[in-house]
Amino acid sequence: MAEPLSPLGDAWRPGSHGNFRDGTGVTLTETRPGSIVQVTAWPDTDDAVRAAIRDSVTLDLPAMPGSGVAGEALSGFGIGPGRYLLAGSTEGLETKLRAAIAPETGAVTDLSHGRAAFRIQGESAEWVLSKLFALDFAEAAFPLGHGRATQHHHDITALIQRTAPDGFDLYFFRSFARSFWHALCRACEDVGYEVR
Amino acid sequence: MTMRRASSGGRIDRTRTVRFTFDGKAYTGHAGDTLASALMAAGVSVFARSFKYHRPRGVFACGPDEPNALVTLISEGVREPNVQATLVEIFDGLDAESQNRFPSLGFDIGAVNGLAGPLISAGFYYKTFMGPVVGSIRGTRAWMLAEKAIRRAAGLGRAGHAPDPARYERVNAFCDTLVVGSGPAGLVAAESAAAAGGRVILADLDATMGGSAKWSSAMIDGRPAAEWAAGRVAALEAMPNVRLLPRTTVWGYYDGNTLAATERVSDHKSSRAKGEPRQRSWTIRAGAAVLATGAQERPIVFPGNDRPGVMLAGAALRHAGEFAVLPAGPVVIFTNNDSAYTAAAGLAEAGAEIAAIVDVRPETSDAARALADKAGGELLTGHAIVHTHGGKALSSVSVRRFTLESGTFSGETRRIEAGCLAVSGGWSPMIHLASQAGGKPAWSETLQAFLPPEPTQDWTAVGAADGTFRLADIVTGAEAPELDPAPAPCLEIASPGKAFVDFQHDVTADDVRLAHREGFASVEHLKRYTTLGMATDQGRTSNIPGMAILAAATGRTIAETGTTRFRPPFSPVSIAAIAADRHGDLRPERRTPLHDWHVERGAIMQPAGLWFRPRIYGDPGETVEQAYVREAKAVRERVGIVDVSTLGKIAVQGPDAAAFLDRVYTNMFSTLKVGRARYGLMLREDGFAYDDGTTWRLSETDFLMTTTTANAGRVMQNLEYWLDTAWPDLRVALTSVTDQWAGAAVAGPKSREVLAACVTGTGLDDDALPFMGIVHGEIAGVPVMICRLSFSGELAYEVYCGAGHGRHVWEALMEAGEPHHIVPYGLEALGTLRIEKGHVTATEIDGRTTARDLHLDWMLSGKKPFIGSALMDREALLAPDRLGLVGLVSLDGRALTAGAHIVERGDREARDSIGHVTAVCFSPALGKYVGLALIRGGKARIGSRAHLSDPLRDRFGPVEIVSHHFFDPDGSRMHG
Amino acid sequence: MLIPCPYCGPRDVGEFTYQGDANRVRPALDAPRAEWETFVYERVNTAGPHREHWQHSGGCRAHLTVVRDTLTHHVLSAEFVRPGPVAKAGS
Repeated sequence: MAEPLSPLGDAWRPGSHGNFRDGTGVTLTETRPGSIVQVTAWPDTDDAVRAAIRDSVTLDLPAMPGSGVAGEALSGFGIGPGRYLLAGSTEGLETKLRAAIAPETGAVTDLSHGRAAFRIQGESAEWVLSKLFALDFAEAAFPLGHGRATQHHHDITALIQRTAPDGFDLYFFRSFARSFWHALCRACEDVGYEVR
Repeated sequence: MTMRRASSGGRIDRTRTVRFTFDGKAYTGHAGDTLASALMAAGVSVFARSFKYHRPRGVFACGPDEPNALVTLISEGVREPNVQATLVEIFDGLDAESQNRFPSLGFDIGAVNGLAGPLISAGFYYKTFMGPVVGSIRGTRAWMLAEKAIRRAAGLGRAGHAPDPARYERVNAFCDTLVVGSGPAGLVAAESAAAAGGRVILADLDATMGGSAKWSSAMIDGRPAAEWAAGRVAALEAMPNVRLLPRTTVWGYYDGNTLAATERVSDHKSSRAKGEPRQRSWTIRAGAAVLATGAQERPIVFPGNDRPGVMLAGAALRHAGEFAVLPAGPVVIFTNNDSAYTAAAGLAEAGAEIAAIVDVRPETSDAARALADKAGGELLTGHAIVHTHGGKALSSVSVRRFTLESGTFSGETRRIEAGCLAVSGGWSPMIHLASQAGGKPAWSETLQAFLPPEPTQDWTAVGAADGTFRLADIVTGAEAPELDPAPAPCLEIASPGKAFVDFQHDVTADDVRLAHREGFASVEHLKRYTTLGMATDQGRTSNIPGMAILAAATGRTIAETGTTRFRPPFSPVSIAAIAADRHGDLRPERRTPLHDWHVERGAIMQPAGLWFRPRIYGDPGETVEQAYVREAKAVRERVGIVDVSTLGKIAVQGPDAAAFLDRVYTNMFSTLKVGRARYGLMLREDGFAYDDGTTWRLSETDFLMTTTTANAGRVMQNLEYWLDTAWPDLRVALTSVTDQWAGAAVAGPKSREVLAACVTGTGLDDDALPFMGIVHGEIAGVPVMICRLSFSGELAYEVYCGAGHGRHVWEALMEAGEPHHIVPYGLEALGTLRIEKGHVTATEIDGRTTARDLHLDWMLSGKKPFIGSALMDREALLAPDRLGLVGLVSLDGRALTAGAHIVERGDREARDSIGHVTAVCFSPALGKYVGLALIRGGKARIGSRAHLSDPLRDRFGPVEIVSHHFFDPDGSRMHG
Repeated sequence: MLIPCPYCGPRDVGEFTYQGDANRVRPALDAPRAEWETFVYERVNTAGPHREHWQHSGGCRAHLTVVRDTLTHHVLSAEFVRPGPVAKAGS
């Protein structure tokens, strides 16, 4: 099958940009996961849904709101009551989850094309993200693996997971991806950034 | 006033010379100077002409209190008017200009306004321009005639027109403690909060931290206060949990302990680093706020109190202590309290000559007397200044014996030579933020000042901001004279002559009394009538004296008079800093997966909400009309393709999904078979039409709902609202999947052949894919979902694939359509095709129309209740004279205009509208200009004639009212 | 104004959408017209604590029942409208 196109088009400009004379403060990448899937539990099936996720794709999601697990091949986190976002490096995550979660247990929604994913990593990641989102990015308030649902401006929904002590993965509606990427690059200019 | 630079002292860096210009003239100063201090050091005494009377004015205060020395800064061609020279740090290349003077500061024609003083008193505008009819000219008319001249004569700086190339940004911060103000009280608070381990932000509007310690002569821990402060600041800076924000004005205190601040990041620099903003807007969510905002000094009001050379005593001390700028001539101090004695001693120590201390009080404390001895000069207790003298600069003052209790004078008037008159009317805690946070300030009779209110949010006030004026009560180890913080209750010396209360708006003490005589006894009314306190300084120096004068006039106390409410911002904030990244190329935009293809193909892109959609794909030399007619014709005759990716798409999933849809749609969905789609209509709860679209059943428990592009977000929210609040028991999941799918509608008699040429894995004939059927197949190796449905009225298919494959599939469809000369079409052609078919969109479903108005009553199921069914049959919604959907045909061969009204009489002046036009086009199928309209009586008028009336666009012409089904009313074409 | 979302923790009011007076009792879809008229059009105009619906539209998208003092903007409580599977957010 044809390789899916990035939504960034010519807005993706690899290399160093901004004020990078003394090094770059962050690195930006488009992570392009093979699968992005949302799983929704019914009011009384949250435990069953998390158990099904654990058994089918071996991702052990904690029950606590906004918590999650960040892994190399597979990550997931809570984005709302009974609702989880899972992203995997390979295709086919939806098929596995659909097989494990019957409609009576919950709903599986494929968003592999519908969401774009970016990673921002580096010592200035928290600073840059503070310009874009009204969230507390300090590690004590936003621990590793945890996720947050928030918005940029009043229109762009953003799902953010801390995937490293100095790194975050950001998920956006695909149609907003280029516009947000542009804003993200602008916000990185003062600390210097590398796109790769 | 003439000032000079002291040969030593101050916190300026004398080794660094800075070059700048003021009114085109070159000046130098030192690093650490403000524009005000550098200009004063260079001998400049007149900084501005006043608002109404064009009186010469000099620097009166220091920092954000300054009412007079407003300048315009010019940078990169951009003019920033009304900036306080006392807050501008000089840098190489700074270019500043004075304001409100013509032709120059030294000689200003507008000064003749001073002679007309009585005519421009309180309420001048109201009296002159809203007054009774004078002859044939009514007041407002007179205003229109005079406005231009008045606006030019009265006013402040002039804004420019050049776009601002600087960048501004916003940032969010979270902390346990925000300390506002870095004077001794703020430093102590920040240190203790930081030691407790929490996250601390310490903000100060000055370039360097330390507040009053920077110019105080007090000792702390055996060291000069400035040294002590520098040590504390360095210690805080080294702590990882502390963030220092110099040059940052915290200007707003909002609900939820959220504070707003502006950081002037690079205003003080000759050039900016890459990506460095000019200013940064901080939104700070603080667990607790410590307001260490200090106090501001009030003047005493007396005749001639605005002459350049009259200055607040604390300001004179700060200019000497921080910037080493001293009065060149003898200094007279005029006070109602002890603090001015500190100023006198400090000025003397810095090298100024103190001629006299004039104190309205009959006695003074021993500590103050000791300071007077140190300062030198005469001590005149029980005296007051009754006038000042000099041209553009103060040369002498008149002093008389004064009785505090009665406010009367006795004895001879005596002149004392003075180049500077340093005035103190006592100090007011800076309670702006505390007051913004909620609660009413409390008047302290002792301190003659408003104190912070009882907190309703999580803040504490410390130091002078809380009325604690003695340094020893703020910092342990402080050594300073034990002065009495209570001033005498005397803020005006009533003597003949113009005595100014509000310097920036030229409001005099007599104006306040006049306003009171005219009935404006409430402080809020006084403020608006006289404009007292409404200038850019928000009455920083004038509010308390103004209130004292009003209170005296009304025979009430200041406590009874009350203060006006403090509102954000504390000091002027540039709109650009607030807008920051929410404009220009940083506005959010949505692009479909086919965006780049459209642009490469030469489409004119049109914003649709946040989306961009092709309007037309113009061929060279084509007009818009020629282009869309060509595109629409191609669809009717052959085949066209349009990007429908923007349609709202919502995944409705779960065991109860069908039941849910039955409740939100007017028609039935539980009966829909898997693999089929159905057109659906939604109403609002009040029974009006809301949105329409097709919903596809992909499995027993999976539906894909489509909505109009414009309503996608709102429909999603409404569905969520109903699910959460009305039917929480339903097991339904709602997810926006608009962006998951790229959608292309292939329409026209040849559409099936185009698909047949590229689709594999499914049949496309009527059996495999009947009207409203859905099949799954592949195009060019990519899985696709195809639904046979039609918006154009032609045989048509919507082809959906994963968004990332959108362009791949679209190009394959274009290639397959090549033999049939497939044409991509845009919004104009899409609109034309739907108008010809009489399909409604958001322009007809406008929130005021019902299903019946739009002839969609066939969709209202009688077998079940649904959202809106209870209220849709109210009498008024069934009335026969409601606006109903009809078609219009232009009878004069000219285009109709959307938004035009329809009138019955063939008279251009007719204004009795019977409805309006919602959409227009040239219909290639009919060969006529047509439109859709909502007309009173609707279908009953079909066959009659009326007139389109559009006075705004000068369009008037006859139309025929016809059915909205212009073309192929029985739908034979789409059923193929 | 901050609203303490039980899922996301305190968030700025800009992330939320006001969804109406929560004191109203929603009639059944087939309830008489008069009940629906009351529901759609009649509101109390409370000065003080007021129950209202807010959706965390810029976050977890859940609808909340918020008790807000209309005089001070103090939010006294915020709970899920739909009984959810989750406990209150940790912080």
